[in-house]
Amino acid sequence: MKEMQGRARKLLEEKKIDGFIGLKMQHGHPAPFMFSRENLGEVETLVVGDVRYPLNKALLKVANQYPEITLGVMVRGCDERGLTELLKWNQLHRDRVVPVGIACTRELADSCECYKPYPSDWVVGEKTEGIAKSKRLQKIEGMNQKERLGYWLNQFNKCIKCYGCRDVCPMCFCEVCSLEDRNFILTGKLPPENPTFHLSRAVHMVGRCIDCGLCEEACPSNIPVRTLYKKINEIVKEYFGYRTGESSEGKSPLNLLGEVTLELSDVNK
Amino acid sequence: MEYKTVLTTCGYCGCGCGLYLEVLDGQLAGAQPCKTDSVSQGGLCIKGWNVHEFVQNSERLTKPLIKKDGQFREATWDEALDTVASRLKKIKGEKGPDSIAFLTSAKCTNEENYLLQKLARAVVGTNHVDHCARL
Amino acid sequence: MAKEVQSTGSFEPKIIAFLCNWCSYGGADLAGVSRLQYPANTRTIRVMCTATISPHHILKAFQKGADGVLVAGCHIGDCHYIKGNYMTIKRVAILKDLLRFTGFQEERLYLDWISSAEGVRFAETIRNFTQKIKELGPSHLRISY
Repeated sequence: MKEMQGRARKLLEEKKIDGFIGLKMQHGHPAPFMFSRENLGEVETLVVGDVRYPLNKALLKVANQYPEITLGVMVRGCDERGLTELLKWNQLHRDRVVPVGIACTRELADSCECYKPYPSDWVVGEKTEGIAKSKRLQKIEGMNQKERLGYWLNQFNKCIKCYGCRDVCPMCFCEVCSLEDRNFILTGKLPPENPTFHLSRAVHMVGRCIDCGLCEEACPSNIPVRTLYKKINEIVKEYFGYRTGESSEGKSPLNLLGEVTLELSDVNK
Repeated sequence: MEYKTVLTTCGYCGCGCGLYLEVLDGQLAGAQPCKTDSVSQGGLCIKGWNVHEFVQNSERLTKPLIKKDGQFREATWDEALDTVASRLKKIKGEKGPDSIAFLTSAKCTNEENYLLQKLARAVVGTNHVDHCARL
Repeated sequence: MAKEVQSTGSFEPKIIAFLCNWCSYGGADLAGVSRLQYPANTRTIRVMCTATISPHHILKAFQKGADGVLVAGCHIGDCHYIKGNYMTIKRVAILKDLLRFTGFQEERLYLDWISSAEGVRFAETIRNFTQKIKELGPSHLRISY
């Protein structure tokens, strides 16, 4: 924690950044906040901890309002993947973002089943090994077709269409969302189109999902949406060798026309 | 240039989910669920996610309005309350107390709801009281 | 949920076919002109290129109760818009794996390349696909309207 406070203070004092997006302890709760040079003393209340918020979203909000300034932001492994991807999508300027890394704890990495629970460099935490194969996916893949269908239809039936999964997602920045298209997702009924609502969100997560897990944490109905998006990431890696945010070069497969690498026989198995 | 989040409680229903209002330069920019809140535990319904939209909305009512000849015109609180009281008295006199029904709200406190049902039962004399959550 | 119907019973599947204007729709036309016989379960939707078919359209077709969805475009390299079908094969591949993961029978979505000269192949594809869907039975998302 002290290291993060120290780094934020240093960056602000040396005028390398104009604001630092982190978490501030307020009334006993960690809250997203932008620390600035005007109130440098507040950096003492910066916390790291295990509670995670989509700080990239706050970064985007401030950067859209003030496109000329440079901002620092606390990032974990997943947040850094998000930043790399947002840069490729031209949502941020490379020279105007200064990420300061946090390596996640063993417990957090295990509960997230993260494949890389650390950014490229960090000031807080120690490197822990990522998880190669997710138990969540193995559980679903162990079921037969009928069991899977029953499982997923029951899960999607719980949806109250709060749009929390979309609103909290740090990678969702579209101004007009397909899930709000009245011809596609009819209004006035709950649960929303089962399964089209969730499957279409999953398709939108191709080449976008950074596996931060905030969607599942925000779901008031405890639908295991993260499992769906983990599977999407696995599909994209298997077919196109692409991992969201892994490299700062190369666009995601559905964003780039590219060359065809698949045969019909790969598709119609 | 200022970005901060303010911890507050959602006012839409009796649940009282904890949420952070995002404030960018004095204007509400969004809402985030409070993950450390013991009631909501990081979840919000669609109303909670959009609670930032109505607060500083230009279409919010700022003064009491009375309808005259099909048009709304601005009035003072005294004028508005006098109008309501006299009309309710008239209806109660002509059609009886049971012709008036009262609808309370989940956005009010328990105390405010108690007062309204007391008004309905003791002052107007009807038990036609219901709550928006039943709709 | 629809009642289970025996595969040799009276179940007539509803199949939606998205055909691209330049190739597969031409192939369907040729099949018609040549008086080739194939089952009448398919409703065709003509699009300019299979690249205009979004996963939304396919999902909506299934949501509305289609028992099978066929996407037929130009052969790779023959697309009227040069590379449209490159996107199609990527999208359909991802969507099929996702459908399988969520327990939907992904064989209900079929992708093929049919050129405008392949009337016989078009009829054969429809015949085979209709038979396959008949064996799979009605879609679990079918509700009687």
